[in-house]
Amino acid sequence: MDLADRAVGFLLSFISLSIFTYYTFWVIILPFVDDDHFVHKYFLPQEYAILIPVSAGVALLCFLSIFVGFVMLKSKKKKA
Amino acid sequence: MKHIVKILTLVMAITALWVGLLQTSMIPRSHTWLLPIYFVVSLGCYGLLMVGVGLMNFPTCPQEALLLQKDIGEAKEYLKQKGVDISPS
Repeated sequence: MDLADRAVGFLLSFISLSIFTYYTFWVIILPFVDDDHFVHKYFLPQEYAILIPVSAGVALLCFLSIFVGFVMLKSKKKKA
Repeated sequence: MKHIVKILTLVMAITALWVGLLQTSMIPRSHTWLLPIYFVVSLGCYGLLMVGVGLMNFPTCPQEALLLQKDIGEAKEYLKQKGVDISPS
């Protein structure tokens, strides 16, 4: 149990650090690199730097609202 | 109260910097527009990192748990002696 928690924590930290590094590279450093540099092969076009976070945020918000609504429905049923 | 002032100052400073960048157009517009989303993403990453770190060195105290279980047993015994019904309903 303890080890599993530790592994999950390590995984979360690793994921967040890798996302942060990749996104920083993508948004901050890439505009200053030449267009025909080979690094550009490893990154999607710049539009996706907006599209992916926004869609992920909208999906997260939808999921949260559905979850909250579900919990409210369940608690109301219990009370009645 | 002090904490929120600090956070608000930081947000104001970042906004001022961003507006300045937009006005001077030192770097192309399309890249400057990405900065707020970059800050949101980095905030999310920071939150995830803090949760991960907190989960990684979550303090557990097995000795205390043992002592607590012993205490609970003692209390149950005591209440049973006094004739109090403590069976889980």
